[in-house]
Amino acid sequence: MIKALAMEFQKIRRRRVWLIVATLIIVQIVWSLWGVRGMDAHDLSQGWMYFLYQFPLLNSIMMPVIAAVVASRLCDIEHKGQTLKLLNTVMPTGRLFGAKFLCGSLYMLAAVLLQVVVIVAVGRLVGFAGSPPLAELFYYLLFTTAVNLTILLLQQVLSLLFSNQMIALAVGIIGSFAGLFILYFPQGLARFLLWGYYGVLMLVGMNWDRATRVTDFYYVPVDWAGFVTLLIVFWVMYIIGRALFIREEM
Amino acid sequence: MSDSIATTGLCKQYGKVLRVKDLDLKVPEGTVYGFLGPNGAGKSTTMKMILGLARPTAGTVTVFGKQLNRRNRLAILKDVGSLIESPSYYGHLTGTENLRIICVLKGVPDKDINRVLHIVRLENQKEKKVSQYSMGMKQRLGLACALLGNPKLLILDEPTNGLDPAGMQEMRELICSLPQQYGMTVMVSSHLLSEIDQIATNVGIISRGELVFQDSLATLYEKSRTNIAVRTQDNQAAAKILGAGGVSCQPQDPYLLLPRLSDNELVVHISRLFERNIGVVRIEERRKSLEDIFLELTGTAVSL
Repeated sequence: MIKALAMEFQKIRRRRVWLIVATLIIVQIVWSLWGVRGMDAHDLSQGWMYFLYQFPLLNSIMMPVIAAVVASRLCDIEHKGQTLKLLNTVMPTGRLFGAKFLCGSLYMLAAVLLQVVVIVAVGRLVGFAGSPPLAELFYYLLFTTAVNLTILLLQQVLSLLFSNQMIALAVGIIGSFAGLFILYFPQGLARFLLWGYYGVLMLVGMNWDRATRVTDFYYVPVDWAGFVTLLIVFWVMYIIGRALFIREEM
Repeated sequence: MSDSIATTGLCKQYGKVLRVKDLDLKVPEGTVYGFLGPNGAGKSTTMKMILGLARPTAGTVTVFGKQLNRRNRLAILKDVGSLIESPSYYGHLTGTENLRIICVLKGVPDKDINRVLHIVRLENQKEKKVSQYSMGMKQRLGLACALLGNPKLLILDEPTNGLDPAGMQEMRELICSLPQQYGMTVMVSSHLLSEIDQIATNVGIISRGELVFQDSLATLYEKSRTNIAVRTQDNQAAAKILGAGGVSCQPQDPYLLLPRLSDNELVVHISRLFERNIGVVRIEERRKSLEDIFLELTGTAVSL
């Protein structure tokens, strides 16, 4: 498996997949710096919560597209060069599927890790009150990665099964919009949409007082039911996706 | 001599159409087996089934005496190199990088890369991106890939497709040299009869999914009997006279086809025609070409 994973990285040399992750991070740094302009003492006291509220929203829009592009970059090389019929004679198809997913996962994981670094760095720079909330940041890392990988998995299955990458990319873009908009609908609805889970697993809620025009953030309990649902979806999708890919005849 | 590949009752159904029907192939070890058939006859499908890329609807595939199944497939294929339809490659990587990927996955030492590049004469282009390769170079890279690890069996599907005449010739010479130099068995498909004639020692002819001939090339040649064609001023009368003399003739306007006769016999029969005042205007020797046999066997014209 290590060999297969190493070969996945070898295959995407000069494809600049890291550029996608870098773009995401740069946009998010700019966004976060923009958001903390002119924060007053009240805002600074809730700074960490503000970020833990804003970033999942940002992820709802950006991550599905990032996942779609990463998966597509990793998979379209096989379609373009018609390499599957060759690979299929030298390695088990299931291992190829796994290695490809692992390779994409590392990029998605790197994106979230960098995000956490950005959150902590910008928070310190601006002077958010208190030390970084380690437990919440850990959950943020865990949940964001879980949603990312589930979406990446879906994208990989689509990118592998359909040689026309427009199909997979369109699903990614539609998903990113759907994931954001469903958050404006009654709570609970987002549970039925994979892309809505950035919102479902959010750790912070917001109160906006119409009269005083003051926003207040507060921590909400972890939605373990949502997390378990996500894990089950992931597991089922992995089994089905892998089986569909193996079943394909060349 | 044992068979490197043997199939029994191999069938492949796509939708409702049986594309390959009850194929019993035998590819003897150490031969170049030419798998000949018109376009769409089921050559690629058959080769894919031998490699396990397509699942047979019925029948079995045996490679090196072991029946192929899902579990032993990759272990058996370690000794098999293949090039199916178009070559497989990563266009954004160099030739060497492409080969290295397959090398690692096949578990073959890195130094084999230079050996196979030398065989296909791509050493000078090995650091170039494959997307900049010509079709012929891609095809040769595909062959290099198949040769990695010095396999005992090569399965090549239309390896000269898309090559210019010089490239075709080069590829054919290369294929011919493999059994002697490396002790390989080669199964090569083509829709070109002349090509199979040049490189193969054994032939299997497939038509509409069915095997219509399988034996050595020499046996195929034996089928090409010689005929004598005679043209007279009155073929009907001539046929009667020759028939009376014990020569069965077939009318083929404007000729009469006689079986092969010795010169002395022919003189006797022809002079009999003169005695009856039938003017003989042409006597020709006709040899059935391989094309004719192919046509006869497949019932389709040879595509050029």
